[in-house]
Amino acid sequence: MDINLLKKLIKMVEQSEITEFTVQEGELKVKISKNSKQAPQVHFQPAADYGRQSPGLQQFATSGESKSSVTTENTKSNLHEIKSPIVGTFYRSPAPDADSYIQVGDMVSAGTVLCIVEAMKLMNEIESDINGKVVKILVENATPVEYNQPLFLIETV
Amino acid sequence: MFKKILIANRGEIALRILRTCKELGIPTVAVYSEVDRDSLHVVFADEAVCIGPAPSNQSYLKIPSILSAAQITGADAIHPGYGFLAENAEFSEICAESNIKFIGPSPDSIRKMGDKAFAKETMKKVGVPVVPGSAGVVNDVDEAKKIAAEIGYPVMLKASAGGGGKGMRIVWEESEIEKAFQTAGNEAGAAFSNAALYLEKYVENPRHIEIQVLCDQHGNFFHYGERDCSIQRRHQKLIEESPSPFITNAVRAKMGEAALIGVRSVNYEGAGTIEFLVDKHQNFYFIEMNTRIQVEHPVTEMVRNLDLIKNQILVAAGLEIEDKPLEPRGHAIEFRINAEDPDHNFRPSPGRIEYLHFPGGFGVRIDSHIYNDYVIPPNYDSLIAKIIIWGTDRAHAIRRAKRALEEFKIEGVKTTIPFHIKVLNNEKFINGDFDTSFIDKHINIK
Repeated sequence: MDINLLKKLIKMVEQSEITEFTVQEGELKVKISKNSKQAPQVHFQPAADYGRQSPGLQQFATSGESKSSVTTENTKSNLHEIKSPIVGTFYRSPAPDADSYIQVGDMVSAGTVLCIVEAMKLMNEIESDINGKVVKILVENATPVEYNQPLFLIETV
Repeated sequence: MFKKILIANRGEIALRILRTCKELGIPTVAVYSEVDRDSLHVVFADEAVCIGPAPSNQSYLKIPSILSAAQITGADAIHPGYGFLAENAEFSEICAESNIKFIGPSPDSIRKMGDKAFAKETMKKVGVPVVPGSAGVVNDVDEAKKIAAEIGYPVMLKASAGGGGKGMRIVWEESEIEKAFQTAGNEAGAAFSNAALYLEKYVENPRHIEIQVLCDQHGNFFHYGERDCSIQRRHQKLIEESPSPFITNAVRAKMGEAALIGVRSVNYEGAGTIEFLVDKHQNFYFIEMNTRIQVEHPVTEMVRNLDLIKNQILVAAGLEIEDKPLEPRGHAIEFRINAEDPDHNFRPSPGRIEYLHFPGGFGVRIDSHIYNDYVIPPNYDSLIAKIIIWGTDRAHAIRRAKRALEEFKIEGVKTTIPFHIKVLNNEKFINGDFDTSFIDKHINIK
């Protein structure tokens, strides 16, 4: 969609009594809405197409993990993802009967061990690379993880 | 039979393997790098694991990542395809140690046949013809003269420690050998710090003809005839066909026999290909063995009516080969479609496929992972499709190939389709009159 056209449309909604305006061009849909106190808000909704989202893609039939829920949460800029650097099995604690390395709400610093990813019988300690507060643990204990799979959300100050 | 197969590869061969696994009812695991997330075989597999970033050495070649993916998904077998880890003896060994079946030969077979000098010696010992030459390094020019006189000119002096064409000289007659010995030795010394040379018969304008074999653990050693892969550019195969338009039936039979003698002598298991050079007098010489499935395997499948991947899986599972060799039927030709620009020195042309139309009809087989809107990543080889044509005879296969390639539309990237059409219209190609120098001599490209 042409940016000049878009600017014209936004101005048009701003200056008129229209409160909501939707237009679709090809696979791109734009909704411009306004409430009396604020400037018009613009939402883009690109249609899903075969090439971009793989409809049949399943991660690990056993764990039923869904990845899309995590990516939408990243829109907040002070939330940092800790991702797995390797393929393996995620464990919250160093041994089955030991305490978890961390809990939600813990403050961590760069270098704090957060979890273990076990690969080929080797226990790999995964460290935080920033300082902050653990706000979410994204993977369940003893489930498989793949390369770059998000494991934790750390809120930086 | 295996309960789950992990496909340790990508692109068209990963899809090829997946298709056979589905037909056999075996669940599949795809492993992929970050740029292959939207690859077709990843979409179709029962499970998929991202194993690393785009660079091959951090993903498709990273043994721990692949083994780990097999462990977390419970895969009990790995098919390595071709390239990547397919002929990596260490990988084959680690799989065995981890109780995962590597669908291919033993680490020992891979090591033995992967060592070119050893493979040649092994074949020679059992009476398979090899390129005649010195048994090791030639110590001085007099020794070189003696051996050359025995095997007959032209000969080639080659650097023992080398490659890439350095320290190599073709010698056409005895009067040239002294100077050639000196200059080749100096060049080798400068390039590899080792001036040692060995001598081999120079096979002029050879044809590259290979034999497909399948061997199981039940004493079956079969060959499925030849593929003529002489149409090459810079030692990369572009077109392969079967039967070869050049060799006679007598030579064909002898080559098949030689291939079987070779694989029996090393007690080979699985699919493999024995490669020969054939000179203009129909003499054939063993050059090397590939201990894996090859890119051009569909050519044999079309003419001999079997699924080679299926038989690989059966053999690996300890079962007997299901498809005994049949008499060849008709003629098959494969054209490798690469995302390359033939008008600009075949430079790679990655990018988004904006419009795609596959040809169809009787006798047209497409092995390809591409689809409309697919983005070809720049990190891997440029093969985007194989089109394999079957015809009742060679002339028919050529007519059908022309028809099919003219229907084949790929827009958004440059491809070698126009190049293949040029070859199909070349008189020498049509007459079956070609060797490995064909592209250089007859097709007007660099």
